[in-house]
Amino acid sequence: MNKVYSLHDAVAKFVENGDCICFGGFTTNRKPYAAVAEILRQGQTDFTVWAGPAGGDWDMMIGEGRVKAYINCYTANSGYTNVARRFRAAIEAGKLTYEDYSQDVLMLQLHAASLGLPFLPVRLMQGSGLMKYWGISEEQRKTMDKVDNLKAVEIENPFCPGQKVVAVPVPKLDTAIIHVQKASPDGTCIIEGDEFHDVDIAVAARKVIVTCDELVSDEFIRRDPTLTRIFGECVSAVVHAPYGAWPSQCYNYYDNDPNALREYDKASKYLDAEDAKAQLAKAAAKAEKAAAKDPENAKLAEAAQKAVAAAKAAEEGTSIPMTFKDYLDKWVYSVKDHGELLDKIGGKRLMSLRNAPHLGYSNTHLK
Amino acid sequence: MADYTKYTKQEMQAYAIAKNIKENQIVIVGTGLPLIGASLAKAVVCPSCHPIVESGLMDCDPVEVPRSVGDNRFMAHCAVQWPNIRFIGFEANEWIHDEDRLIAFIGGAEIDPYGNVNSTCIYGDGDYVKPKTRFTGSGGANGIATYCNTIIMMQHQKRRFTEKIDYITSCGWMDGPGGREKVGLPGNRGPQMVVTDLGIMKFDEETKRMYLAYYYPFSSPEMVKENTGFDIDVSRAELFEGPSPEIIRIIREEIDPGQAFIKVPKE
Repeated sequence: MNKVYSLHDAVAKFVENGDCICFGGFTTNRKPYAAVAEILRQGQTDFTVWAGPAGGDWDMMIGEGRVKAYINCYTANSGYTNVARRFRAAIEAGKLTYEDYSQDVLMLQLHAASLGLPFLPVRLMQGSGLMKYWGISEEQRKTMDKVDNLKAVEIENPFCPGQKVVAVPVPKLDTAIIHVQKASPDGTCIIEGDEFHDVDIAVAARKVIVTCDELVSDEFIRRDPTLTRIFGECVSAVVHAPYGAWPSQCYNYYDNDPNALREYDKASKYLDAEDAKAQLAKAAAKAEKAAAKDPENAKLAEAAQKAVAAAKAAEEGTSIPMTFKDYLDKWVYSVKDHGELLDKIGGKRLMSLRNAPHLGYSNTHLK
Repeated sequence: MADYTKYTKQEMQAYAIAKNIKENQIVIVGTGLPLIGASLAKAVVCPSCHPIVESGLMDCDPVEVPRSVGDNRFMAHCAVQWPNIRFIGFEANEWIHDEDRLIAFIGGAEIDPYGNVNSTCIYGDGDYVKPKTRFTGSGGANGIATYCNTIIMMQHQKRRFTEKIDYITSCGWMDGPGGREKVGLPGNRGPQMVVTDLGIMKFDEETKRMYLAYYYPFSSPEMVKENTGFDIDVSRAELFEGPSPEIIRIIREEIDPGQAFIKVPKE
């Protein structure tokens, strides 16, 4: 069966408002950014999210207000941003409904879902805040149909009386989206390098969108079945999206784009122009206060002067730093599809990200 | 000629990490300083060690410094590319088999005298649901601190070393002797030391409270006392010798020439 869709049609058909959803990849590696951008363009929202080791993918969705409940274990473009900034801002403003598990537990939960287990016993999180505090209370959980009624329960191991273990729920995924190196029209996938939790969520979810760097024939993909990782019958849609993980990495194909990740790091500090003005004014006031406290200190005086000038320039509109909204306008909303995005990034830049086969990553991408 | 006789606090920390890795140990590293320390160990101080990362990449020997634990720089230069769940299973089975080969580095924003670590959030006037400062969350740290002996990497500041932390992300010795067993954690695992920019702390065998074991050539027991927010015993402290110029040359020229994690001061 031919499951090849355009990115637009796959997302329109298989991503619905209110879905319980999980993306593949690991922080800045093989994240399905092309599909994320398409969801942002189409407007689907109210997701209950099993985030896994997340990066800019979920940070963008949170910043755009598409998340109803966020089940977190780690969110950052690690190496570029210490803590994902829209994620952090939303939590500090009390605007994100979220839950924390440890990464180990969350990945085991996704694996348990792939195994069809009813619940999962673990010996993890015991004694920690992860057991003690619930981001979503039991009462609140009971009103949310895609969120389990309980976060975790301590039980006795029936096979080892006296031993305390932790029972956690198993995700019930509506949708999984993964980006792979090669897929064929019948849905069979080759994942090169670490599969992360991608195979687990492809088995566990009712609807699975696969974007791929290379779309190859059904005959070609099964020439060496030791390489195939996902059975085609698990997959709902196959989308040909070269560089579909950009700006994250894709093993054997391309490296991450440090310029884009740095640009996002800076831009995502401010939600929009109003937020930039407010934050810069606040920073200026703080710097002035510090300088006033220590009038002898030339460095502080200079810093205050700079901060005041930046705040003034923003307020007057002569120089407002790039914001999260600007980044999304530039890389998501101003292009109609993934092809236009590739044109916008540019051939030279994309080529510089290409993997050097003798290294396993790019040695030209920083230039 | 570059001058390798002076070193930074961070280089001292990386060296301290490397010196604390033992022959044949399996070392769980993250990115940043622990990776530089483990790379230094692998290169010169203790080449028999096996660095592994929580994404599931085993026995890593990267050529270029990776920026995240899932980086292609690890992936292309390791023995096995396991999914993360195998890493978790491996770490648990090491404990189940009573092996004592693992040592893990974790970091955090806050630590208490018993080595419990917070990398989730600082409450300020708020609480867990609406904190003043939010961090990434556990990542692999909670599981690592459950099943493995750990070395904790911290910046040594009063507000970070505090009698009571807001949130325990990774369990240390809990409230003292027997604390781990009480909550269901393996009692024969736990934090072994805390490596900071001012010294190396260990945990008293009787009380499980942190004490100063070593200070550096540029720090002192008094400095550690001043920058620790709880009462800390410094009476047992000894001097930890700094790295040789050759070690500093290797860090700067071979391990992190791009200064991804260790900034070299301009001469």
